[in-house]
Amino acid sequence: MNTLSLAFRNIFRNARRSIMTMMAVGVGALAILMFGGFVSAIVLSFQTFIVQNTGHLHVYKRGYFDFGAGNPSAYGIADYAKVMQAIADDPVLKPMVAVATPSLTLFGIAGNFAANTSKTFFGTGLVPSDRERMRRWNAYGLQGLTWRESAMHDDDRDGGVIGLGLARMLSLCATLNVANCPTPPAAETSDKPVDQDIAALAAAEAPQDNGADPRPRIDLLAATAGGAPNVVNLRVARAENQGIKELDDAYVAMHLDLAQRLVFGRGERKVTALILQLHRSGDLKAAQARLETIFRDRGLDLEVRDFSQLTPMYPQVIGMFGTIFGFIAVIMGVIVLFTIANTMSMSVMERINEIGTLRALGQRRSGVRRQFLAEGFLLGLFGATLGVVAAILAAQAMNHSGLSWTPPGNSAPVPLTILLFQSRLLVPAAWICLTVLATLSTLFPANKAARMVVVDALRHV
Amino acid sequence: MTDSVRNEGPVVRLDQVVKEYHMGTIVVPAVAGVSLTLQAARFSVIVGPSGSGKTTLLNLIGCIDGATRGTVEVCGTDIATLNDDRLSDFRARHIGFIFQNFNLIPVLSAIENVEYPLLLAGIAKRERRARAMALLDAVGLADQARRRPNEMSGGQRQRVAIARALVAEPDLVLADEPTANLDSRTGAAIIELMHAMQARARTSFVFSTHDPAVMEHADSIFAIRDGLLVESREIGGRA
Repeated sequence: MNTLSLAFRNIFRNARRSIMTMMAVGVGALAILMFGGFVSAIVLSFQTFIVQNTGHLHVYKRGYFDFGAGNPSAYGIADYAKVMQAIADDPVLKPMVAVATPSLTLFGIAGNFAANTSKTFFGTGLVPSDRERMRRWNAYGLQGLTWRESAMHDDDRDGGVIGLGLARMLSLCATLNVANCPTPPAAETSDKPVDQDIAALAAAEAPQDNGADPRPRIDLLAATAGGAPNVVNLRVARAENQGIKELDDAYVAMHLDLAQRLVFGRGERKVTALILQLHRSGDLKAAQARLETIFRDRGLDLEVRDFSQLTPMYPQVIGMFGTIFGFIAVIMGVIVLFTIANTMSMSVMERINEIGTLRALGQRRSGVRRQFLAEGFLLGLFGATLGVVAAILAAQAMNHSGLSWTPPGNSAPVPLTILLFQSRLLVPAAWICLTVLATLSTLFPANKAARMVVVDALRHV
Repeated sequence: MTDSVRNEGPVVRLDQVVKEYHMGTIVVPAVAGVSLTLQAARFSVIVGPSGSGKTTLLNLIGCIDGATRGTVEVCGTDIATLNDDRLSDFRARHIGFIFQNFNLIPVLSAIENVEYPLLLAGIAKRERRARAMALLDAVGLADQARRRPNEMSGGQRQRVAIARALVAEPDLVLADEPTANLDSRTGAAIIELMHAMQARARTSFVFSTHDPAVMEHADSIFAIRDGLLVESREIGGRA
């Protein structure tokens, strides 16, 4: 017989009320854990999506991030092969880096002159095999991720992928077999002849394959580093949904070689960024610091940006879900607090005479207080444990239910996942916090019990 | 308390004790200047009609209520000098209580109820259990040790309460109308038991009661009326 065993017996004195109280705590724990697990899954899915597409770190020529987006030639990295070699050879970075690949971002006009249509585009020149490896990054072991076989290949230097919206605007839906693609109203179709100079330039750049390549061809027009217009032909392998309409309506992914031909012509070839994808996101700060050291030691005028700077929505989404989670946790905490306080207050009221007896027998005020706090602690402990067990079962059921949803910005649905243990803190923190909160919410009734006047308590009927 | 104090000399000394209750602006004197001395190892009884102040007097002696004025000295200690914690410890060490409604802890078995004062005194589990069982045996309830109060009769509960009051070997046991909730036969048996236990433990027993059967066993009788001690009588040859 000690305080805890006595508390255990006391809480089951009114078993129904105590079970209801524990269930209230359990439901609070369940709600916090399920939402926390859902948020965890969203954050990790979102991070995985970003890291697959943009990597962890981008190396830019200093100033590109703020001023160079429209001027790749002025803010390009000229000797990027040496920089990549330095990264590859560094003994600190080597075990951290999964993929290091060059990238060239450019803007221009995409035209399907055969259909007499054109559209400004946002293009990325990339190394297809590197990007394919990046897209398979899944450091968190998320379930249900799917990869579509890439339509681009290293040896296909004229091939590329465009957004669904751009395909629609360039009248390529039929040739690219795009489903559910609306046809433009007749009045909207431009019958204005294409500028003869541009058409001639495009014709001059057209590959002489005598129709052997069945893929539709579009022409990409951009200004070269010297300011002259330049045109290259892109064989469109596939149209892919980019998730965001603005991006979908303008996106062109092409081989790095083609992008460099378009921007730099026969001049010195540069890239706008070196993209690094790490094995683990946890190495991000260390890798960034190491890169900055290497660049400083070698006198390279380069800067490093991480993915949260490149995708400002990422910290915003995390912040938003963190706020919602905090809000829900506070509401649940308040419910638990009042439920326990109410139950323990009732218990104190029912046991006034007993409190008087214990005090008469020689129990100190602190002993009475400790007794009721122990009962609140046990109610919280059992309730929170019940909630954790329920959450684990519910998460298992949810994760195997086959339910899916399409997050904002995603082009395809993803499994509805609850990741309870991805964050080491979520379950223990919820469990401990609710137990502590339950104990603390007993303070008021426990103090009330401890302060009772012995004779008044003994007189109570 | 030493053995010499336990067996001889006063265990309780009240000097001009006044206890007043305030009901709004009205002051109600429950004890209006009582002075008395209770000798150790005696069977003392406080008698008086309802509302006479005998329970208040018992509460003052039991150190669970404080006097408005006057001095309450128990086992040689002026209880006004003790803070709440020391007063609690003092009660645990020196005083046992037997209540009219038994006041057993319902979630504890009979033996655990008897053990409880020893738990407060910090006695080790093995010794607690042995002493509690010995007391239960002495009150004839060894075979009921595992039962909870709601599984026992009124007489049995009061026997457990007597064992609980005595288990810590207090200097003073206070019983507030201990037979009031028992039938006359059981009440008589309980009085016999308490008297026997008092004689065996050489502990001072103080009762408040209306029950003439209790008075028959008394060594000292104190009659109280309207908060005043109106009679103090020693029964010869018992002490």
